[in-house]
Amino acid sequence: MLGCVLSLLAARAGAQTSSGQLSITMSVQSSITLIFQDNPSVGTTGFCPLTNAGTNNVGLDFGTAAFPGSFHTLACVNYTHLTSAIYQVSSAFDVVVTKSNSSSPNYRLAAQISTPPPANVSWLLNNVTLTTTGFTTLDTADNYATPITKTLQVQVKNSVPAQAFLETITFLATAN
Amino acid sequence: MLKNYISIMRGAALAALLMCGASLPAQTTASGVINGSLNNTSGIAIQFDSDPAGVTLGAAGTNAATANFGTVSAFGALAAGVTRPSVTAANFTVRTIFDVQVISGGLASTSYTLTANLAAAAPAGMNYKVDAVTLTTTAQTIQVNGAYNTDIAHNLDLVILTAAPGAGGPAVNTPITTTINFTATAN
Repeated sequence: MLGCVLSLLAARAGAQTSSGQLSITMSVQSSITLIFQDNPSVGTTGFCPLTNAGTNNVGLDFGTAAFPGSFHTLACVNYTHLTSAIYQVSSAFDVVVTKSNSSSPNYRLAAQISTPPPANVSWLLNNVTLTTTGFTTLDTADNYATPITKTLQVQVKNSVPAQAFLETITFLATAN
Repeated sequence: MLKNYISIMRGAALAALLMCGASLPAQTTASGVINGSLNNTSGIAIQFDSDPAGVTLGAAGTNAATANFGTVSAFGALAAGVTRPSVTAANFTVRTIFDVQVISGGLASTSYTLTANLAAAAPAGMNYKVDAVTLTTTAQTIQVNGAYNTDIAHNLDLVILTAAPGAGGPAVNTPITTTINFTATAN
């Protein structure tokens, strides 16, 4: 009798197991990211430091400038008189686009400005004038993970009244 | 049997979903923004330029130029760019022409007023004129409606007494240097 009970207990103890399966589903998507970096020459003429460098939302201040006397307050700004009536300030920085899970060989880079500038004021990247009407192509086949140096320029005619210019330039990288 | 069928159908549906997920468009763009700023300020700047009819200025194109008349006399030869418009018993005048350019930016002003003064009292026997205005150490108005961003010619006259040194005339055989301050004011 006792043996029978022990056998039953043993049988029940052996049944206290459980098994299961957790099925994992996921989907990996290709992605790219864009950041702005200070150029290695930062601090020298033509290479002002970015604020918040290393992110995709940075600031670039040209300081104060005027046409007469080639006046400008920041030594890092490259100031030139383009004509007898137009001055330009410019500064270069780097764009780095990184890919992940992508077989894309390279990417296209475009940019546009957010607000129409005042008359006789132009914003340019590498001598390409930017507009608010759409993205302007800057490059068609830039390499990933490689700093691409871009120069932001502001051109101002001497007839433009004194005022502050604020512009947001949106860069768009598209995988090829 | 029915359970097996349902299980197979669920598996097939899951596989189909996974396949659909794999074919969804990948994220192939990235963006970033640069917030650019520039404070365009206003001002004017004066510079001296050589005039084709005058002496060649030293440091032309700046606001601190020099004009060298060379050696002057009532009757002797003069340097290039220097003329002698008058000689009288009491004095003689030597003249050169120089250009003033006032550059403006960001201003509603359309003209400027130009004044000049001697930085120090004139040396003995010497008088200085710009466009016939005799200069003193007090600012004198030279022009009231100067146009911006263009060279405007001005006569610079040195009126030199003919009296001997010590008798009211200037020192001779000694360089005489005088500084004239010019001020342009936006109208």
